[in-house]
Amino acid sequence: MVDAARHPQVEIISYAEVDRVDGYIGNFRVQVTKKPRYVKMDLCTGCGECAAVCPIEVPNDFELGLAPRKAIDVPHGQSVPLIYAIDMDHCIHCYQCVTACGKRDAIDFGMEPEVLDLEVGSIIMATGFDNFDPTVIPEYGFGRYPNVITAMEMERLANSAGPTVGKLMRPSDGRVPKSLAIIQCVGSRDKRFNEYCSGFCCMYAIKNAMLLKQADHEMDISIYYMDIRTPSKGYEEFYNRAREMGIRFIHGRPSQISQDPETHNLIVLAEDQEIGEVIELETDMVMLSAAAIPRLDTDEMASKLALSRSPSGFFMEYHPKLRPVDSPTDGVFLAGAAQGPKDIPASVAQGSAAASRAARVLSQDTWEIEPVIASVNAELCISAQGKKCGLCAKACPYGAITVEVGQPAVITAAKCHGCGGCAAECPHNAITQDHFTDAQMVAQLDALLADKPEEKIIAFMCHWCSYGGADNAGTSHFEYPASSRGLRVMCSARMDEDFVLEAFRRGAGMVLVSGCHPQDCHYITGQQVAAKRFSRMERLLQRVGINPERFRLEWISAAEGDKYARVITEMDAKLKSFDREALLAETLAARPIIGKRLARWKASPLMAGLVPLEATEEVLA
Amino acid sequence: MPEDGSLRIGVYVCSCGANIGSVISPAAVADYAARLDDVVLTRDNLYMCGDPGQNQISRDIIDYRLNRVVIAACSVRMHEPTFRTCVAQAGLNPFLMEMVNIREQDTWVHAHDPAGALVKAKELVSAAVAKVRHVQPLQPIEVPVTKKAMVIGGGVAGISAALDLGDMGIKTYLVEREQSIGGTMAQLNKTFPTMDCSI
Ligand SMILES: Cc1cc2nc3c(=O)[nH]c(=O)nc-3n(C[C@H](O)[C@H](O)[C@H](O)COP(=O)(O)OP(=O)(O)OC[C@H]3O[C@@H](n4cnc5c(N)ncnc54)[C@H](O)[C@@H]3O)c2cc1C
Ligand code: SF4
Repeated sequence: MVDAARHPQVEIISYAEVDRVDGYIGNFRVQVTKKPRYVKMDLCTGCGECAAVCPIEVPNDFELGLAPRKAIDVPHGQSVPLIYAIDMDHCIHCYQCVTACGKRDAIDFGMEPEVLDLEVGSIIMATGFDNFDPTVIPEYGFGRYPNVITAMEMERLANSAGPTVGKLMRPSDGRVPKSLAIIQCVGSRDKRFNEYCSGFCCMYAIKNAMLLKQADHEMDISIYYMDIRTPSKGYEEFYNRAREMGIRFIHGRPSQISQDPETHNLIVLAEDQEIGEVIELETDMVMLSAAAIPRLDTDEMASKLALSRSPSGFFMEYHPKLRPVDSPTDGVFLAGAAQGPKDIPASVAQGSAAASRAARVLSQDTWEIEPVIASVNAELCISAQGKKCGLCAKACPYGAITVEVGQPAVITAAKCHGCGGCAAECPHNAITQDHFTDAQMVAQLDALLADKPEEKIIAFMCHWCSYGGADNAGTSHFEYPASSRGLRVMCSARMDEDFVLEAFRRGAGMVLVSGCHPQDCHYITGQQVAAKRFSRMERLLQRVGINPERFRLEWISAAEGDKYARVITEMDAKLKSFDREALLAETLAARPIIGKRLARWKASPLMAGLVPLEATEEVLA
Repeated sequence: MPEDGSLRIGVYVCSCGANIGSVISPAAVADYAARLDDVVLTRDNLYMCGDPGQNQISRDIIDYRLNRVVIAACSVRMHEPTFRTCVAQAGLNPFLMEMVNIREQDTWVHAHDPAGALVKAKELVSAAVAKVRHVQPLQPIEVPVTKKAMVIGGGVAGISAALDLGDMGIKTYLVEREQSIGGTMAQLNKTFPTMDCSI
């Protein structure tokens, strides 16, 4: 901690929030707001004379409320930076601190939030984890029985810098406990709460048991576990030492903890799976090894940086095996428990890994980004003809398009992120997206629907999420029928209604449009553009004579392989439930109607070089 | 492209050891692709991404004057960068290469329907061949790099990242929500595995 404060290249901006992030790899602009401390950083010496005179005591969050802090205080003695701050929610404006500060004159009640605009080339997300709240498991009595505490509370109560100066005492009567039961997997590996293993609780449970046993050899300590997980280097040996010290390990998850109302002792009821018997144990104290859970503001931060979340809720890496430190956003990397529960050695290692991934970018003068961007055909843009339009500019999440009546729309290449939303939105086919052009899309549809199109499901997928979801189904080996044919674009915003209509015109049995969930969108609001567009699809399909049940819209994240497999399985079943002859007849009838609708699009320069579409006209007949 | 402007497409089908090859026959997919218009060369390989596989592609681009390449293998999220670099080294614009996902989105999800998986693989390859007929070379956009970093979160992970970046001479902002950095670690008593103090 202190090293970071002393490092000439590291600037700590504490007591601050990230408001927004703009830009792209090599060129991020981050707005950070420093909350007012009401204490001047440059004048505060950290002497603490202000806190000594402050009459207001409030619970100290750092001590989990086990000890008070003053309305002007630091969280703890080793704080970095050691600068006080006033909690204005509780301050009574008696100004005794100002008097105590005296000539140092560090206190400033007029301080305002300070907004910083910072330019950086790379960002590392290391926001860590929160702790599961065991009050939601009523059978453990946390919050009702004073002597049931969490592991975090144990860390403070057994800490020589903590509220009890390292002397563990029972909250009910201040007595030093002679016995302790530690319960593992509280909120972890429990389908009701979190399916995953929190990874480090086995080790910290053993650690705390050993520390207490070292201090008091007579203490009776039992650890209730489902499995003991100690896979890192030297950890199994650590566990063995605990067993040798006489710490009892009971294989079973307690079903109930009750309290003796007189003594406030606790009675732990569990089935010991080793002996296959239900055992009841009376103990002075219980410690709950509560799960590590994603930060409560994970969604908010994810949308600021266009990150995704794993099924566990933690930030998702770009690739679990090959790019475990990269996020889906180029130039943004993940470190520590923010990406999933991790102990200190693993967090430090990942911090270094993220630094080196970031330095890979920051050590260069320039960086190459994908040239998949949109461009305007000036002749087709009706704005150039003096008509009011601007639909493209409205769809662009980056403000990369400017439209002035009388001039064709202009796309600023450096601002374009390549979602392709504008290309799909333009009703005059005046915009094209490189590498995902209309001609390329239609050429693929042509090939995919050349044979038995009525048996196929055309699945449009966005690169970042639903394609990732389909990959996830693969890595998880979730099987589904082989009738789907995927078509990848960068963002669901690129998925033009015309693509869907064209797929049906060519006889596709079903069409799936899939993209990210709104908060996961890699292009800020691309998904919303798509969602709005496809909310009209049902009516459009009815109008051209296609049963809307042949179309489906689904938001699937890169972690939702199960969902991808389920959606395709359901669509396949639906397709099989249709009468084949009726389906073919429906397509044949709809074909000229759709053909007419798409005639102008087909004739547009975007389609240049395509095999005349009529060549495939016989497929269905 | 050659002077006459004709397309010369090479199609490669990967077996990925047994990952693809145990469900469908890569050779059968390659044979199918050989009959598609403009395809002048097809090959299958045990590991397309391995050195021999990549060298083969590079050599073929030169020897057979390929101007489009289709690689049926794993996900673009896995090896698109690999194969883009590979074709670029042989002088082909990376955007003239298209990958087909016949692993994650085919053999791994249709292991019990090998016939269906084979038809799907062929049709996906045919779609990629259709796409590359229309792709254009694209030049990467060069952007400047601001040589500064931001670390959000001042726990032990963020601190170690910031220190490493700082040691590399990179100015780093360490943004922490709380009054003090340190995160959970600062709250801990002694820490495993060393049992020393946490701060
Ligand atoms: C009871 C208990 C005991 C443990 N004992 C041990 C042990 O003995 N040994 C061991 O190796 N591990 C132990 N661990 C695990 C250890 O706590 C973690 O490995 C470590 O804290 C992870 O560090 P981190 O930096 O990823 O996250 P954190 O420690 O959670 O730090 C994240 C930081 O980011 C800040 N932050 C969060 N959101 C934002 C935001 N939006 N903007 C700005 N800042 C933000 C937070 O305030 C915090 O300072 C224990 C964990 C628990 C719960
Ligand atoms: S680390 Fe141990 S206690 Fe924690 S969830 Fe995993 S198995 Fe349960």
